[in-house]
Amino acid sequence: MIIENIGLAAAQVFEFHNLGLMLIGVFFGIIAGAIPGFTVTMAVVLSLPFTFGMEPVAGLSTMLGIYVGGLSGGLISGMLMGIPGTPASVATTFDGFPAVRNGKAGFALGLGVWSSFFGGLIGALVLATLAPSIAMIGLEFEPWAVFSLIIFALTITASLAGDNMVKGLIAGNFGLLFAALGAEEINAIDRLHFGIDELSAGFAYLPVLIGLFAFSQLLGDIEDPKVAKASLMEKTDIKVKIEHWNAVRTIGRSWVNVLRSSFIGVFIGVLPAAGSSISNILAYDQAKKASDHPETFGTGEPQGIIAPEAANNATAGGALTTMMALGIPGSPLCAIMLGALLIHNVVPSPVFISEQPVLAYAIFTAFFVAHFMMVGMQSFALNAFLYITRVPMYTMAAVILVYCAIGTFALNNSPFDMWTLFWFGLLGYLMKKFGFPLAPVILGVVLGDLAELNLNRAWTISEDVSLFVTQPWSLFFLLLAAFSTLFPWYQKFRGKRTWTLAFMPLMLMCLSVPLFMMNTPIRMGIGIAMIALGAWLLWRSHRTGWAVDAADTVEHKPTIEAA
Amino acid sequence: MGSLNKDTVIAVVLIAITSVFFWETFNIPELGYASMGSEVWPRIIMTPLLILCVVYLVQSFRKKAAADGKSVSLGTVISDYRNPIMCFVIFFVFLLTVEYLGMLIAGVLLTFLLLTAIGNRTPKALAMHVAISVVSVGLVWSLFTFVLRVYLPEGELFSIY
Repeated sequence: MIIENIGLAAAQVFEFHNLGLMLIGVFFGIIAGAIPGFTVTMAVVLSLPFTFGMEPVAGLSTMLGIYVGGLSGGLISGMLMGIPGTPASVATTFDGFPAVRNGKAGFALGLGVWSSFFGGLIGALVLATLAPSIAMIGLEFEPWAVFSLIIFALTITASLAGDNMVKGLIAGNFGLLFAALGAEEINAIDRLHFGIDELSAGFAYLPVLIGLFAFSQLLGDIEDPKVAKASLMEKTDIKVKIEHWNAVRTIGRSWVNVLRSSFIGVFIGVLPAAGSSISNILAYDQAKKASDHPETFGTGEPQGIIAPEAANNATAGGALTTMMALGIPGSPLCAIMLGALLIHNVVPSPVFISEQPVLAYAIFTAFFVAHFMMVGMQSFALNAFLYITRVPMYTMAAVILVYCAIGTFALNNSPFDMWTLFWFGLLGYLMKKFGFPLAPVILGVVLGDLAELNLNRAWTISEDVSLFVTQPWSLFFLLLAAFSTLFPWYQKFRGKRTWTLAFMPLMLMCLSVPLFMMNTPIRMGIGIAMIALGAWLLWRSHRTGWAVDAADTVEHKPTIEAA
Repeated sequence: MGSLNKDTVIAVVLIAITSVFFWETFNIPELGYASMGSEVWPRIIMTPLLILCVVYLVQSFRKKAAADGKSVSLGTVISDYRNPIMCFVIFFVFLLTVEYLGMLIAGVLLTFLLLTAIGNRTPKALAMHVAISVVSVGLVWSLFTFVLRVYLPEGELFSIY
């Protein structure tokens, strides 16, 4: 049955027009990812009006092509200009840019491209094998657990979203509030519209996204008049030939780094709301710590390029796993893809893979195939990028702003959507100016209705509030939410205060409680292992006299930005 | 207590907005038959939101006043953020006029005005802006109209299909 479904899915993905759309998507994704100031998320958001009229497989394949291309595209500008094209390639610049300056541009680019390829394939493998298993676990989630999972997704986004957790939580709550505007699904009551007829239906989801991510981003890019009028790169006579064979041989010898970084990427991707902007830095950090020569990092060290690029593409696989298995976006970009699925009347949930196996396997297949296209398109896109860098930023921004308006109107043929785009563009710009993160707002908008629906279901079944802590999975996610709200302080004081030594052990021990409540041998065994690990960490700290070690402090504080 | 700073103003504005929304929840009809009324979820969101805004307000009081003690004038703001302000104003005018001019003409004008407001204004640059506006908007308009079959506003004045 699975083989049959894979066959049917592959047949759809390998249709000629679908492959063509994916190629176009990969190409534009690489270009969008390569241009600093444009983001992969913006590229995917801008593609939504086009994919709206396509079949689900075609639309999703195109967006996956943009996603994969964009994650890899950031390395081009990161290495050639020293400016990461996307937050997912920040760590790539640490060694990529020095390598190019040392005259190894072709080798460095090859390492980046092929690391992205192998990391992405590992992510695709995890996606295909893990998503169905996680979906089976997801079927156990009662409404209390789903609600608590959403709370966890919002709190972890807020905690990773910058220096001020309060601002992140405020942003997340406003996202929930925007989603609550308009027609309420369960009782069919119009609410919070202040008597304005157009608001009775609420805000369309996609103009909100395009306004918050694309509109505000573009205005930020042209804010400085000098930057706006300048082209991206002054020196455009660079001729680079990617050294594929050298790169593959080096990556083959560095398989431990590739595997470790890829699994870091997948793990980060699976966490709700965390994305490639975090995994690339963590993977770089770990590669440096594991290296016999950490002093070479930052000078053009190949391992310093392999780690972040493998991680950022693998993250996509992890993020898609959470989205498809649980219906919870694993990254802000996945939140947009979730929206695209909803437009096509496809609702990702624990039953999605079992009820729509052909579509699910088509997504796995398209994600896998996109990586091969990415490798093939890099050389071509690199040359196109070098031409595009001659165009002043203000020209690109103006054209894309107009496209945003036209594309937004095209979604529902509604002028009100263009007004939504405008107001949320203004809101997004102001939020960025005043230090409020956008990712929690997006998650709040995407997950708001789902949260209310599950809260309503829970309340209908029983008005006993204690069920939120007596249901094992609900307690598990609420504990994760609680610890994630404390995480910013843990990060801030790690290596400086004694209490931070007890944070992880305490978290492990607390999380073991709901696992014991689940009353199955495997989960109880995992609970025992978590308690043992927590106890060992406490014992280790006790043995060292509870001495904090400043050298262990993470040098680069990872935060979420839209990839 | 420190002097008013940006965060204090923002916190007060957020508290005011949240309060307005909370007041609006009392206009939501209560349903006798519903297990959870339509007003419940918004209030559940707004209660922690209000608390968070108050926490943010308290945090803002603890921040020191700006080191140079200078207040920012409206003129400085307009000068520093000229480009985004121009873009918002032009886009706003576009939204008001698209119904009358149609998407094609309004879009071309929008692009041209954005390019000219943000970019260079030499005769060569202006000619380039005209060309970019016509070609880019024309292409996108044609794509949506003839390929994707999405009918964009024709405009009451010119009715361009």
